[in-house]
Formats: sequence, structure tokens, C-alpha cells
Amino acid sequence: MSKKENDKFIITVKSNTKDLFAFTKLIPNRKKRFQKASSEPITSDPMNELARKLHPRRQYLIVSEIKDETKTTKTIKLIPDPDSNTKELAYFRAGQYLSLKVKVNGISITRPYSVSSSPSEALNGFYEITIKKVEDGYLTKYIWDNWKINQKIISSEPNGFFYYESLRDKKEIVAIGGGSGITPFRSMAKEIAEGKLDIKKMTIIYGSSEEDDIIFYDELKELESKNPEKIKVVHVLSCEEVSLEGCEKGFINADIIKKYTDVNNSTFFICGPQIMYEFLDKEIEKLNLPLKRVRKEILGQIKDIVNYPGFPQDFAGKTFNIKVHVGNAIKEIPALATEPVLVAMERAGLTPPSKCRSGECGFCRSRLISGEIYIIPESDKRRAADKRFNFFHPCSSYPLSNLEIKVPRDA
Amino acid sequence: MNETSNIQKINDSYDAIVIGAGNGGLVAAAQLAMNGVKVLLLEQHNLPGGFATSFVRGRFEFEASLHELCDYGSTTDKGGIKSLFDDKFNLDAEFIEIPEAYRLILTDPGEDIDVTMPFGIENFLDAIEKEVPGSRNSVKNFFDLGKDILHATAYIGKSRGNPDQKVLMQEHSNFLKTTAYTVKEVQDALNMPEKARKILNAYWVYLGVPTNRVNFTIFATMVYLYVRRKAYVPKNRSHEYTTALDAKIREFGGDIEYNTKVEKILVENGKIIGVETVNGDKIKTNHVISNASPTLVYNKLISPKSEVPEIALKEINARTHGVATFVVYLGLNKTAEELGIKEYSYFIYNKGNTEELYYSLGKLETPNVQATICLNAAIPDCSPPGTCIISITSAFLHGVWDDVKSEDYFELKNKIAEELIDNFEKAIGASIKEHVEEIEIATPQTFARYTGTYNGIIYGYEPEPWDSFIPRLSCMKDEKHIEGLELCGGFGMRCHGYSSSMKDGETAGLLTLQDMIQKGEIKK
Ligand SMILES: Cc1cc2nc3c(=O)[nH]c(=O)nc-3n(C[C@H](O)[C@H](O)[C@H](O)COP(=O)(O)OP(=O)(O)OC[C@H]3O[C@@H](n4cnc5c(N)ncnc54)[C@H](O)[C@@H]3O)c2cc1C
Ligand code: FES
Repeated sequence: MSKKENDKFIITVKSNTKDLFAFTKLIPNRKKRFQKASSEPITSDPMNELARKLHPRRQYLIVSEIKDETKTTKTIKLIPDPDSNTKELAYFRAGQYLSLKVKVNGISITRPYSVSSSPSEALNGFYEITIKKVEDGYLTKYIWDNWKINQKIISSEPNGFFYYESLRDKKEIVAIGGGSGITPFRSMAKEIAEGKLDIKKMTIIYGSSEEDDIIFYDELKELESKNPEKIKVVHVLSCEEVSLEGCEKGFINADIIKKYTDVNNSTFFICGPQIMYEFLDKEIEKLNLPLKRVRKEILGQIKDIVNYPGFPQDFAGKTFNIKVHVGNAIKEIPALATEPVLVAMERAGLTPPSKCRSGECGFCRSRLISGEIYIIPESDKRRAADKRFNFFHPCSSYPLSNLEIKVPRDA
Repeated sequence: MNETSNIQKINDSYDAIVIGAGNGGLVAAAQLAMNGVKVLLLEQHNLPGGFATSFVRGRFEFEASLHELCDYGSTTDKGGIKSLFDDKFNLDAEFIEIPEAYRLILTDPGEDIDVTMPFGIENFLDAIEKEVPGSRNSVKNFFDLGKDILHATAYIGKSRGNPDQKVLMQEHSNFLKTTAYTVKEVQDALNMPEKARKILNAYWVYLGVPTNRVNFTIFATMVYLYVRRKAYVPKNRSHEYTTALDAKIREFGGDIEYNTKVEKILVENGKIIGVETVNGDKIKTNHVISNASPTLVYNKLISPKSEVPEIALKEINARTHGVATFVVYLGLNKTAEELGIKEYSYFIYNKGNTEELYYSLGKLETPNVQATICLNAAIPDCSPPGTCIISITSAFLHGVWDDVKSEDYFELKNKIAEELIDNFEKAIGASIKEHVEEIEIATPQTFARYTGTYNGIIYGYEPEPWDSFIPRLSCMKDEKHIEGLELCGGFGMRCHGYSSSMKDGETAGLLTLQDMIQKGEIKK
């Protein structure tokens, strides 16, 4: 019931006295409730617990097996380090990568590697990564020379967005891989074979330079023969002389793709070295696919940045000084114009945070206090406001002058 | 000491430390820094904002949690947040007005409601009268009460918490007489028609408590402020104004460290003496403002445990933790117009009874409750030409996800996301699924992961009448248990919501400042 007085509406909820009484009792009743309540502390927090399981900041691992796949590739099996708190491995989505944090000659670096084993194998206690030795590679050379069974490794949680997503992708997928880019597809194919990835068909088109370079040849063949409806593998070899039966010759191109796939009913996943992308981009363009059906794995650090279209070539060979603020310390470090700011920091013995090294994950996000940088436009995945307020991703930015930057400590 | 560990250090003493760079913590730190306090803001994530953030997938930048900022307002009718940003901090951030209040669709046969409500009190009243003839007066009275409550709270604020009882009785009786009641109790007294309630109470999800339990005071002021001052969103997602706040704090002389999780709040003889971080920092201070909730502070952070006051735990246990949210973010490769999506904000429920809706959030099933927004309806160029961004938000009661295992997690969230998309498609008759170019799904786990919030909860304690903002503000002195400790944010004195959390941060900053001045720690 309510009434009007002098044009002003005055409420009565129950009755005038009751309403005012209820008001006066509000605080005493509150105090009574508190007094009556339990004083047991809350000790469980299931969602933070689940978050730690799915996304542990660090996983402490050891190498339990090393298998030579080809002359230049090894599959490394990783299991929880029994001396650590890592008791189980984080589950993941086939196609995701781990960022390994390793020391090379006293210098701390990270490198991303796709998990080549299947998600269910993580539940059984192991991950596999398959590493290709890179010419003049920094870490890979070190691995070949130094890693043995029981080598300790720190890994991130599984990362990245290169996975099949049922609410977005077609039920038929085409996996185009080159070289070590086959690794995420091995994980996906295994998951399909286990009956856990709900897709109709996966066609793997795998480019290698020669027969001896094909990684997982036998395994892929077996996956294909055991799941003929679901998995199809096409090898494409670029060398002159090819003895392998049933393979395609040359580079993966639009015609080969059309020959083996239902182009208009497939989602394309592409993973391989930079040179493959450069060639393939033009071929994919010919297929007129909407962006949504082309998923490209990130590249990592761009090779040969000097010749990258758009990079100011006259900066080649120049070095600058970077004044780095970390915590309350300041360190002056040298930096090449042709090397990402992140690498300059690592070389100088700093341990800045990083994961994808491709500009995508934002984990290395830092603040540019002063100076000029070159950012690879394709890798510029910064948030709009970060661009406006001078935050940048050191993994995909190159110094074009002396810089002053503020970098967060590693998490 | 070697170089690396040296370089990992930060200063070891501050006048004040703010834990957490969410809405509350950012404003608290800015307030302190602006007043010359040597303040350090510590954030466990590598970004400011907490929930008030954004993320990039492909060519889209998604808003993580904000639907509509309340109490921002225009230059001619400035709200509390606009005053804070423009007048106090002179913040470099742009906000865009949302075109309409909301479209409410009730999907069960027989419910028969599909209305789009406008902003502006008069427009809203006209629309509801048209929809429910005879309802205008009761709804007008509802808004008048909202307005009266705001006048009353402004008066109490001006009196610095010591209002003249006579003035309260004479001038603010509408406030006094509704404070102890729920929305339902007051709407009953207003004789508001059932259908008008269903329409007006569409906003219930923003507080996450059904109208038979949610306090009238907070609900009425919220709805009144939305309808009167309209709602706003940041031009470049929440990350824009939170980053602008980060810049302000530094400009004012404050320090910020990201990737620095506070593990312990050190207390001795009932007084704050410092904090310890996971990075191994031990930092001395006499003042801590925690943007982390009381639940986390008293159950986890205070060290040693013997310093945790029993009453603080009782206070937490007497309350009900609010809901955790579930969000599906969609980057679509068609424009909103092409898809037939016209409005910014959609409330889609199967029923109009909020109590039933609330209990339906208590099962690990797809809720029949969604608040969906199409950002392009407010900011046409928020995504590349030819595309649009939609986010569908639903909720679960605290604890519903507790037994989910990591190996079942991805499948579960995809199933719920798919059904939420289906429900949206059915409700508005659009087909969006085939146009999904990017999709991300956030669950209670996700919010826990990025912010550490207790059990993934995104809303604070439920604001029932006994625990709404008036009782909380009135009791703030009695419920302060540790000298030098203030709390702020969604679990704070003004209850949850972006604007409440920010205003709460401002209050925490001012209270700390006052304490420092009283103790002679800083000059006025
Ligand atoms: C998502 C993703 C998944 C990947 N998955 C795989 C995979 O499954 N298998 C695989 O084989 N590869 C994979 N890669 C590539 C892999 O991460 C490495 O790039 C590759 O192994 C090469 O490492 P490297 O250190 O040997 O070579 P490079 O990284 O080419 O080594 C040279 C680099 O080291 C830097 N450097 C040289 N000297 C120093 C120094 N003193 N201090 C610090 N830095 C120095 C150089 O500047 C240069 O950047 C993946 C990449 C990405 C982005
Ligand atoms: S490491 Fe991922 S963005 Fe730099």
C-alpha cells in the first residue's frame, strides 16, 4: 500500500512501524547471524585446484626416453620429475604446444614445441615432443650434444590455439604439415585413432624434402591402415629423385590439395617452417577459403628478418643499447636491430617471461618507455589499448634505436 | 648474490601495498598515489584489470566480462564513474553509449514476452505501459524510490557516516522504510503487475540473486541508474581504461609489479607489517588494501594463522558466495545486420520467475539463463569489416563445477557452449553457428585461472537485505579486524559490479589515507 503526500510518493511496505522497526533491526540481526555462523576456515577451492591441474604455471619434467626418428629428428619422452611437486601432467588439446624453459651454457631461454603424443597419453604420465635439429640452432645443437636420459626440464602448461574446435571447424579436416610441422598432427591423428576426437576425416598432406626426412613414416602408415575411413596420409616430396610409391612430387600446392580433399567442406590446419608458409600462402589463396577455415600455427621467431618484407633493411648490422628495468634493477644491454628484443635480453642473462615467441600469447608483454621498435605486422597480436599505451611484445619486436623498457619479472 | 636474483628484486618497503589490479585495486592505488603515498600495486597476472580485461583471438579482441558500465553517464548527467575518471583522475579512456536498455525474451510457451526496452525514465515508462497497461504508476514509483535512495545515500555520505536521525526520518523515509526489504516485498507493496515485474526485473542476473531475496536498495538504485544514465562500454574493451589507470598510477608516482602474486599478508599483534610474494619478496608496510576477497584474505593470505580473527571467518561463513559465470565468446564472419542481430543486450530466460531461474543455475547442465551481447551494436567497428562479436554469458551457483575432472573439462564446456548458442539462435531466430570464425569459452575454472578468485566466483557475496551495501557500509568500522588492512572490490562494501567495485576502491584508498594522516605517517 502506498499513498501520496504533497505530490511526493511515500512508500509503506508493510506498515509504517514495521518498516522502521525492520530498519532498526537490520544491524543487530546481521551481528546475530555472524555470531551464529561457523568459524571453520575454508580450505578447499576446487576451481583454483582445477586451474592448477589444467594450467600449471610450471611442470617439472625429466627426459625418460630419446628416440631417433630421422637423421635430424628425435622424439623426446617427458615424464614428471620424481624429485619435484609435479605429480601428474596437465591434460591438453591435441595441437597445443609446451614452452620449455631450459638453460643453455648458463643462459636461460624458452622454446615452444608442439606435443606430438596424444592427450590421453598425458593422463598416462607422459608427453612426447619431436625436435628437428636446426642448422645453427641454439637449443637444438645443445640438445644433440648434451641431453641424456634424466635431463631435467621445466615446461609451461600446454598452450596455444591450434586445435580442432567442434563449434567452429568442419568435421573434415585437412592437415598440411612440413618438416617438424607434422608434430601437432601426430597428436590429433592419435586422438582420432583412440576414438576421442569427433571428426569425420583427417587428410594429412605432409611435405618433406626427401624420403629419409619423413618423420613418423611408419606410424602414420599404421594410423592410416587401422583407420582407413578417418585418416588419410599423402606424402609430398620435393627432392629430384623419388622412389616412394604413391607420393606427390614438388611442393604442396593448390592442385595437390584439390586432388585429395573436399576443399569446400574442410577446415585446413597448417603447420610447418616459414618457407613453407611463404609458398603455401599463395596456393591457399587460390582455394578462396574463408579465414575461418584456415588455421595456421604460429611460426616462432622469424628467420632472416632482414629480408622480411617491410623490415627497414638499412638497419641490418646496427646495434643499440637497451636500458631494461626489471623490478627495481636497471640493466643496460646491447641489442642487434635484427634480433628480437627478447633474444637480446636472454643473451644478456636476463630471464624475461615468454612462451610462444611469436607475438601471440602476450606472455612477454612489456612497456616501451622510450625508443623506436619494428613490430612484424603479422605478429602484432597486441590488444588495441596496449598499442595506444606503448606496451609491446619483445618476442616479435626489433630495436630501431636505443630503447628504455620495463619488463615484468618471470612468473 | 648473483646478478639474476639481484635483478629479480623490488623495493623492500612501501607506505602502502595494494594487492590485485582489478577494478577495486586499480582505483585504490590511483587514489593513494594521487595523494602522494608511496604505493606499490602487486598483481599476479601480467595485465591490469582482473576480470576487467580483454583478449585477442585471430582478428578479434574480445571483452572478457563487462556487459554494461553502470553510473557512467553523460557530460550533462555525469555519473559517479565518469566523475571519478574525468574529474578526479583525468583518465585517457573513451566510453561509448549503449543504444538500448535491453531486449528481454522469455522462451517457455505461455510466457509470451519479447520486448525491447529503451533507456530514459520516461521512455521506459511509456514502453512498459504499452506492454503492460496500468503498470506505469507502480514502475514510476519504483524509479522514484531508486532516486530517493540515492539522495539518502548521498546525504549519509556527506555526513561522513553520522547522519542526523531527524533528517533521515523527515527527508529520507523512503530510504529507511525499504532498506530492510527484498525487491519482491517492495514490488508487492507497489502493486506492480506480474508482467511488469518480469520485464523490469530482467536485470536480476547482474546481481545474481532472485527478487525474493535480493535487497531492494541495491537493485532499485542499479536499475534506476541504468535507465536514467544509460549504460556505457569502453571503446577498446575494458583493457583500455584499466591500462589507462595503470598509466595514471605510474604518472602519480606509484609502482606496479605484474607477475607478482602475494602469498602472505604479514600480521603482528593485529597490525599489518608487510607482505610476502611467491617471487620471494618480503616487503614492509603498515597498510594493505586487498582487492582479493575476504574469503581469500582470511582463509589463505593472513600469516600467521593465529592472527586470523575468529569473527572474520564467521562473517565469511554467514554469507552466501555469489555465482560463477560461464561465457562463450564468438567472433563471427558476418555482420550483425546480416545475421539479424539488432540489439546490444539480450536477456534470454525460459521463465520470468527469478527464483526458478536462480535454482536452475544449481545444476551442471546448460542454464536457461543467458545475457548475451553484440558489441558491434554499440561499437560498429569493434571488429573488422564484415564481422561481429557476440558473447553469451550464463552462470552457475557456487560449487556446481566442483567435481569436474580435467579430462572431461573440454567436452563439458563445449557441450554447454553449444546449447547456449542453440538457445540464442532459437530465441532470436538467427543462425550464427556456421559463421563462427573464433570461439573461446570461459568457465568458472577460467576465471579462477586468470584472477585466482575463490572457486571461480565472479560476483561477491549475495546482497540480501541483511548483507547489502547499507548494512555493509554502516558496519565498516566494526567489521574492520586488522589494523592497517582495508578490502575492496566485488566482495566489498558496495557489493559487486564494475562501478561498485571501483567506488569501493576509491573508498578503501581514502580510508587508508585518512588512517595515515591520523597516524602522522604522511602530511595532509
Ligand atoms: C608453436 C610452435 C611449435 C613448435 N613445435 C615444434 C616441434 O614440434 N618440433 C620442432 O622441431 N620445432 C618446433 N618448433 C620450433 C622450435 O620452437 C624451435 O624454434 C626450434 O627447435 C629451433 O630452436 P633452436 O634454438 O635450435 O634454433 P633457433 O631458435 O633458430 O636458434 C637460434 C636462435 O638462438 C638465438 N641465440 C643465439 N645465441 C644465443 C645466446 N647466446 N643466447 C640466447 N639466444 C641466442 C638466436 O638469436 C636465434 O634466435 C615450434 C615452434 C612454435 C612456435
Ligand atoms: S612470448 Fe608470446 S607474445 Fe611474446
